[in-house]
Amino acid sequence: MSSQPSPLWTHTPSSVRMTGTWRSASPDYRTLPSPCLGACPVDGRIAVWVRQVKEKDYRGAWLTLADNNPFPAIAGRICHHPCESACNRQYLDETVGICSLERFVGDMALAEGWAFDKPDTERSESVAVIGGGPAGLSAAYQLRRRGYQVSLYESKDQLGGLLRYGIPAYRLEKAILDGEIQRILDLGVDVHLNAEVGDADALKALHDKHDAVYLATGASRSKALPGLDYSQPWVMDSADFLAATNAGEECTLGKRIVVIGGGSAAMDVARTARRLGREVTVLSLEPEDQLPAQRVEVDEAMEEDVTFVTGAMMQSAGANGDGLVLNCIKVNFQAGEKRGVFTIDPIDGSEFTLSADAVIPSIGQDADITRWQGVVADDGPVVGTGSDWQTATPGVFAGGDLASMDRFVTQAIGMGKQAAVEIARYIGSGEDRDTFPELTIVPYKAISSDYYPDVARHVPANTDVAGRLENFNEVQQRLEHTDALAEAERCFSCGTCIFCDNCYLYCPDMAITKLENGYEVKSDYCKGCGLCVAECPTGSVMMYEEG
Amino acid sequence: MEMIDYQDDGLFNSGHVACGGCVEALSLRVILNTVGKDAVAVVPPSCTAVICGGYPMSSVNIPVFHTTLESGAASASGVKRALMAKGKHDTTVLCIAGDGGTYDIGLQALSSAAERNEDILYICFDNEGYMNTGGQKSSSTPLNAATGSTPGGKDTRKKNLIEILAAHRIPYIATASPSHVNDLAAKVEKAKGIRGMKVIIVLIPCLPGWGVADNAAVKTARMGVESGVFPLFEVEDGVTYTMNTDGKSRPVGDYLSLQKRYRHLTDDGVAAIQSEVDQDWQRLQQRVAVG
Repeated sequence: MSSQPSPLWTHTPSSVRMTGTWRSASPDYRTLPSPCLGACPVDGRIAVWVRQVKEKDYRGAWLTLADNNPFPAIAGRICHHPCESACNRQYLDETVGICSLERFVGDMALAEGWAFDKPDTERSESVAVIGGGPAGLSAAYQLRRRGYQVSLYESKDQLGGLLRYGIPAYRLEKAILDGEIQRILDLGVDVHLNAEVGDADALKALHDKHDAVYLATGASRSKALPGLDYSQPWVMDSADFLAATNAGEECTLGKRIVVIGGGSAAMDVARTARRLGREVTVLSLEPEDQLPAQRVEVDEAMEEDVTFVTGAMMQSAGANGDGLVLNCIKVNFQAGEKRGVFTIDPIDGSEFTLSADAVIPSIGQDADITRWQGVVADDGPVVGTGSDWQTATPGVFAGGDLASMDRFVTQAIGMGKQAAVEIARYIGSGEDRDTFPELTIVPYKAISSDYYPDVARHVPANTDVAGRLENFNEVQQRLEHTDALAEAERCFSCGTCIFCDNCYLYCPDMAITKLENGYEVKSDYCKGCGLCVAECPTGSVMMYEEG
Repeated sequence: MEMIDYQDDGLFNSGHVACGGCVEALSLRVILNTVGKDAVAVVPPSCTAVICGGYPMSSVNIPVFHTTLESGAASASGVKRALMAKGKHDTTVLCIAGDGGTYDIGLQALSSAAERNEDILYICFDNEGYMNTGGQKSSSTPLNAATGSTPGGKDTRKKNLIEILAAHRIPYIATASPSHVNDLAAKVEKAKGIRGMKVIIVLIPCLPGWGVADNAAVKTARMGVESGVFPLFEVEDGVTYTMNTDGKSRPVGDYLSLQKRYRHLTDDGVAAIQSEVDQDWQRLQQRVAVG
């Protein structure tokens, strides 16, 4: 027995007691993808760059954007922004205006003249990129960043593809397009214009000369509307119409134009024709709420007095005096499982006529894949590839509209990036694929929304409707600087820790340690209450059952 | 979003035996670290007594004197005077009690200390009942809340301790909440610099006592503040009222629905509470306007 009696007062810190044994579940910091990242065609780290905007690190934001997409100013204008449709903020008030923020950063990069860094090391291997549209340019950019030599072959006399010849200037100013393309070329790209790779032999020759080939010639053949005589002077194909008007050529079509189709290209045709002083009617199979064009395009077309006749089809067209008469009928439209697949059922007795002077069919485009017979599989609507974008011939890769039915500019940009990674792997770089295996996307319920007061979305103003039709100036405007900052503040940064210390400071058990770049749970003491998770404003820490 | 900016200097240890998710422990952490090392705490029987102690261990790195339930403020007065006699004028004496030790059993000692304007900082962790002994009602239990001794809901309102204390014209009285950590820390800091009697009443949603989820006590406290059930304000010299939040922005239902002690409530019961909160809010605004 000790001769010293124990003192009356406490003499041992409670930290000898391991309260961690009480726990049945444990918080864990895992960087999970935000819904916007999950939806982004280029796998853009949106939560990261928006946070950089919040912190006024605009150049950092641009660099993050440019990791996956060399065209933020372009994407910020014309992306179909599935990120916004997925945004968790919509469950609180409205989605974050990601696209307008991207444009804000992209425009700033152009205005400031920010350039891409040259690759750290130049490599001797070379890749032929065939097609200077979004997919080809994206691949060329990603390959150059990795030090590969790139020869770019474009059949037209300027680069840009659909961006230049398909998208009107009121949606994408040519100076923006030129600026973002030039920045890629400044990395050192061997550009060949007016260089058509017209047959299998030409392709084989390029394949022999280079270590790999990337095919991205897009979908340049317009689908033909059955029953329409394309030889008539009053018929003009939509791609030809857009290419001609984008090049500034005079339009010889008559006063009243009927555009057939309901997609983005049809909206571009209709609104371009309005700017050329024509009266325009859009005739689509789809009812108005199922038009494949983006809603905002339809709304802006309506503002510009484009008439919509939806849920109907043209059966025949013929001369009627000086003009034309289009015989049409209402249809029941049934969308199929895939985009572009549908059934229609004409409604008896619903026939009607439209008067017009010209018809511009705009019902989609096919890829020209037969010219490379023997090198690539040509039995599908698009070039067949594996999941690595490699065609039947090893070393020949394909992407963009040529190899996919996902006909969006940013999809093509994303495919170009993926192909560049695969090409690098094929050549032997040992680079890993950019994947998010089995990760749950941060759900809204993981966000502590109490930290976000309701704030309406900051929407940049459009130009006045009245002034719009007089020129091809851009309709959508850039966010003001202060609005851009306020809009960035609305972002929940889903799954991206913002180092706010809430988890650390709200822990009643001092069971979170602050590290230089994050936090760590002390499993000896964490009782598993989940307060850190409940008070995390970004959903960066979640509870997981142990074991 | 507002960042929390108090500094943790390690004055509260891990390994204490508060329930997982307890915001009384959280509040204790904020208060101890804000007051600092030069302090002595006096604690009557309460959850805090259990959290701090458990012989031979202690979770707090300042001396704590465990006293009787009815004599918290009196013991704190004595400790302060003893320190003064020893020349330790700057040592902060904290009395940390529950609502039982404040509103009910300790009220006489509290009133006397307030009347003498003792130089102590009195913290009341108000979890609106005797939660440490199984969840009986106290005079702080609000209208319609179910407790072990009022299973159908309490049929009288919560005692308004602020008005009692204000009647003593002590230098500083404040309400605070673990959901508003910056505000809590700022009030402790302010009180520390005031000579005389200071009382801060902190709302403590009790996980088992109120039937709140383990991870939801901070949120419950936040809803209490935002719904106006527990407004954050200060009273100086018993007459000058200052609000610390922008007004009430939620119906009381947002607060009540997080707690099982209100689950028996009908719509009428909720409406009765809403009406009480609205009237109290109005009265409070009148006092703010006069001050």
